Amino acid sequence: MKLRRHELHELTGAYALDALPGPELDRFERHLGHCPPCGNEVRGFRETATQLAVAVAADPPATLKWRVLAAVRVTRQLPPEVAGGRRPGRRGWVPRLATGLAAAGVAVAVLLAVLLGVTRHQLDQARAQNRAVAAVLAAPDARLATRATSAGGVATVVAAQSRRALIISTSGLPTLTGGKVYELWFLAPSGARRAGLLPAGKGGKTPPLLASGLLPGDSVALTVEPAGGTNQPTTKPIVVVPLR
Amino acid sequence: MTTPPGSGAAAQPVPDPAPGQDEDLAALLGHVARGDEAAFEAVYDRLARPVYGLIRKVVRDPAQSEEVAQEVLLEIWRTATRFDASRGSAMTWVMTIAHRRAIDRVRSVTAESQREQKAGQLLPPDPDTVADTVASRLDAERVRRCLSSLTELQRESVTLAYYGGYSYPQVAAVLGAALGTIKTRIRDGLIRMRDCLGVSW
Repeated sequence: MKLRRHELHELTGAYALDALPGPELDRFERHLGHCPPCGNEVRGFRETATQLAVAVAADPPATLKWRVLAAVRVTRQLPPEVAGGRRPGRRGWVPRLATGLAAAGVAVAVLLAVLLGVTRHQLDQARAQNRAVAAVLAAPDARLATRATSAGGVATVVAAQSRRALIISTSGLPTLTGGKVYELWFLAPSGARRAGLLPAGKGGKTPPLLASGLLPGDSVALTVEPAGGTNQPTTKPIVVVPLR
Repeated sequence: MTTPPGSGAAAQPVPDPAPGQDEDLAALLGHVARGDEAAFEAVYDRLARPVYGLIRKVVRDPAQSEEVAQEVLLEIWRTATRFDASRGSAMTWVMTIAHRRAIDRVRSVTAESQREQKAGQLLPPDPDTVADTVASRLDAERVRRCLSSLTELQRESVTLAYYGGYSYPQVAAVLGAALGTIKTRIRDGLIRMRDCLGVSW
């Protein structure tokens, strides 16, 4: 579908509300580069949308502040962009998740470390010991996902399809008794594939586990299994993390 | 809440009740960009309610909303160095990030769990709850007044796209309207909101 110029201009509103589907988004952003009136209109619409946002302000859970401030203490900030170093940014100053995370392996690694609850020193050690871990963290398509589990606590995953691998850690999962283990699975429409056992936790956290064999379209899941793990899940997953 | 098209209250700008607040926020972000954690705490106190409120509105699930809010607030810390006041207000920089993250979350969940469902079968959210959630605070009251000055189709198009996190073809499917119509209604609705709220660029 070829849009004429005035039709493209009509998309300023949908664009400002993040309501353009992918192909039109790309086309409109190219147009935006040489349509200053469109840019001005988008800017005014964004300011307008901000008022819509502020109108629905709501109190977050009290724990959020503590978690965010704790994360800040161990998170490196991005360096400023300086003249000459700036790519012709299609999306202006608004980072998107994928590009924001993939921009620098270091940033991903540190963000991962924060959310995984490991120290930078531990992370440096892990990276030095395991080049595969470092490769996942530095992959340009690395994606981060965090999900609460039904057993309590949180699972954090950094997945890189280009490396066919992911790293997972958890925090706040109940300690298992009777030799039971947390087993990781790759989930596809065709079934579940074994992806490894979570290492024993320390202080409520499990250290990062590298799992290889990730395929496009997979989700990952954790189940509780007997010692040594099983070939197929025997219990309902406590968490499923979609990776797309 | 139905308002006849062209009802009189549309173009009356309502004064901004809190001038100068955004300059404060921009200045605080300047300190945050230099690594000032105390300044970040002040920024957090200013942003947590609007960021969480918007994400909650779009994502709805409280646990997921909290996760997304944490990602967004940490992103503000990480990228404060990239905030450029010449390109827009500080609050808009933040809320644009928050909205996109919320959208990323709901669109990935939708793709995961409802892949076969057509847009027209999605549960219609309730644009009119905007009026319910909006408390008596001044800024919320201004927004409510201005929203009620839009035509019904404009208002539904804008709120389904922004609060509902729908793409404009999904909005068109839900409302049973042509794509071109929705494109235009979103833009016209925003123009009216912008003028009513006295946003100037």
